[in-house]
Amino acid sequence: MLELFADLVLMPLIAFLFGLVLVLMARRVRAKIERRVGPPVLQPIYDIVKLYAKKTQISHGLMHDVSIMMLLGGFITAEIFLPVPGLDGLAAEGDLVTLVYIMMVPMLGLALGVGSCANPNGSIGISRALTSMLAYDVPFVVVIAGALIHYGSSNLIDVVRIQQEGGVSTWGVTTMPLLAFAGLIAMHGMLGKEPFELYIAPAEIATGPMVEMSGKYMGALFVMQCFQFYTVGVLYVTMFLGGGEMWLTFLPKVAAVIFISVAITNVFGRYKTEDVIRWMWRWPTAIGLVGLAFVMLKVN
Amino acid sequence: MTGSEKVPVVTDQPETCRVADAEEKSLLRKVMDNFADHCRSRSLFVLHYCTGCGAIELPPTITSRFDMERVGVSPMVTPRQADLLLITGYLSVKTLKRVILSYEQMQAPKYVVGFGSCTINGGMYWNSYATVKRLDQYIPVDSYIAGCMPRPEAIQQVFLDLMAKIDAGKATAWQDYYLNYDAYLGRQMNLFGQDWHTPTDVVAEAKHYGYVGNGTTGEHTALLDQRATWSLDTVPELYPARGRNERSRP
Amino acid sequence: MTVETGTPATIVDTIQHEIPGIKVTKQGERRLRIDVARDSLPALLELLKGRLGFIHLSAISCVDWPETDEFELVYHVWSYERKTLASAHITIPRNPGRFVSVYDIHTPAGFYERDIHEMFGVVFVGAPNLRPFILTSWGGPPPMLKSFNTREYVNQTYEWVDYQPDWLKDVEAKGGGVEK
Repeated sequence: MLELFADLVLMPLIAFLFGLVLVLMARRVRAKIERRVGPPVLQPIYDIVKLYAKKTQISHGLMHDVSIMMLLGGFITAEIFLPVPGLDGLAAEGDLVTLVYIMMVPMLGLALGVGSCANPNGSIGISRALTSMLAYDVPFVVVIAGALIHYGSSNLIDVVRIQQEGGVSTWGVTTMPLLAFAGLIAMHGMLGKEPFELYIAPAEIATGPMVEMSGKYMGALFVMQCFQFYTVGVLYVTMFLGGGEMWLTFLPKVAAVIFISVAITNVFGRYKTEDVIRWMWRWPTAIGLVGLAFVMLKVN
Repeated sequence: MTGSEKVPVVTDQPETCRVADAEEKSLLRKVMDNFADHCRSRSLFVLHYCTGCGAIELPPTITSRFDMERVGVSPMVTPRQADLLLITGYLSVKTLKRVILSYEQMQAPKYVVGFGSCTINGGMYWNSYATVKRLDQYIPVDSYIAGCMPRPEAIQQVFLDLMAKIDAGKATAWQDYYLNYDAYLGRQMNLFGQDWHTPTDVVAEAKHYGYVGNGTTGEHTALLDQRATWSLDTVPELYPARGRNERSRP
Repeated sequence: MTVETGTPATIVDTIQHEIPGIKVTKQGERRLRIDVARDSLPALLELLKGRLGFIHLSAISCVDWPETDEFELVYHVWSYERKTLASAHITIPRNPGRFVSVYDIHTPAGFYERDIHEMFGVVFVGAPNLRPFILTSWGGPPPMLKSFNTREYVNQTYEWVDYQPDWLKDVEAKGGGVEK
């Protein structure tokens, strides 16, 4: 029992701390691609502390406050269900499908919060965000289904165990490369990076859902960004890259996955909403379905 | 400022700011405040108000030529998220209204930097009826950059000076807006007319966050209170109705 | 709409034939200055638009002449076929400063007339909308009039920076100061 409590505290904590590193990496990579020096090492901490140390803040009502709890709560819950080296948390009780549901909670929370402030940019932004969620969730669900069939279990602990017992040749990325590729694209959309960044669009709709977030609310969003990078990276590593055997190999794998996403981000413009749906439902979904067919043939 | 001669930085530090008594803080409080101030100084989210010509000096400052992200200065797009408001050049009466609206939406601690001569004394538009002469009469300004236009080096210098000031806990001009709101509102009304008001209830904010001073309320804020009791049909017309020279469009 | 083709010389002929007593000056290859009596201006614009292809009203400008107590209104019309700009100059007395709107002939004139009304106080009879346009919270006289003393207004409305503040003396005592 005590061990479980320790897990519940440690897992989100590690997620946050490593998330800070990932955020720093994302900003540094972006700076290097733009031939800049980039922010100092402690920049993510400076930003978050500064935002939480704001002396005034604007709340747009109860739903606005609840939305922040849903944002952070959704991701913290997701951490608890994601097995990491040495810490299983509640991963045995939950499974992959639970996780898919939980990962939708933050975006829905954001929608509730934006709905309570009257900024039109926010409404446009959140409608685009939910639309793009609709876009990337289709290939994502195909990928999840393929993984479930391949591993024969929806329990993430089993998924990790199967890959670790067989070594690299049983990793998802070698046994079902098409699904892994489709999953990478869906993950990229999930992170909301270019070219799927239509709902942030700073120059156009002024960061969309975040437009009315000030002070501590913005700080919560910065914390959420850490969790988001970490959660998406860990989920991908768990499904396709053998999960975590030990921290020394696990964290570089997570960072590598995020690095791929961050590196391709900077060379893209931004797709329109309808183009995101068309593209997401065509290419990653098609690749995912072919991969799913291969998996089903192999299983049968 | 870019030359080799040392010209001192002009700061507009109001004398009337409430300074928290050093003795009343506990040691933990002091450490926390110092840490928070340090973080504030190293993370400045900048909102550019780009109606003047100075905006053209910002791209080299922010992008790879000088890269202000090295010291934590990064652009933001909405006043809600920003800490630092850059007024890049001259302000007309029309744009000053928008500046005040943006400024009041920012969350304290917030800082304002006036770019170039135009924000100091009207610059080359000094005798124009529409150009605002002194920005610090309408919103509190932390720093000015002299020049027409200031080069990116000068902009970097003002960022560094402002950071040092914030780190020392001395960039408190934003409190002056709460403490002397009546004077600021009076000068705004002088320009925009007695009907001028903003959606932000600054007096209520000052009361809520504890920045009420002798100058927070006065004859001009009394006008605001009076306006709250107006009913719809007594609101004076902003514009006259269509005159006899006007006809409906075909 | 048939457009008569031809050189600027034929434009001059046509205009002078239709509206007698008009003075047309060729100012350049593609510039025509037309001085016309104010009562003939709507007819001239109709003629230029309907028969000669000057369909684009680029601007209406206004000049205040305090010496002769007149406003000079200049209507700039452009022809895409001839690639020629014709400027029709009229003068109207400053008092009462009224003229007829040409909104019927050129719809964009509505905006220019609204602007001139705001900046010079000229009233255009028949203009669709003469409400305040660009000036913000303006209670004074039309600011573009020569009789409007801008400097006096600025001195009354705005406060100037103190160029010799006390702290500067301290700085100068230490050898610094503002570069002369």
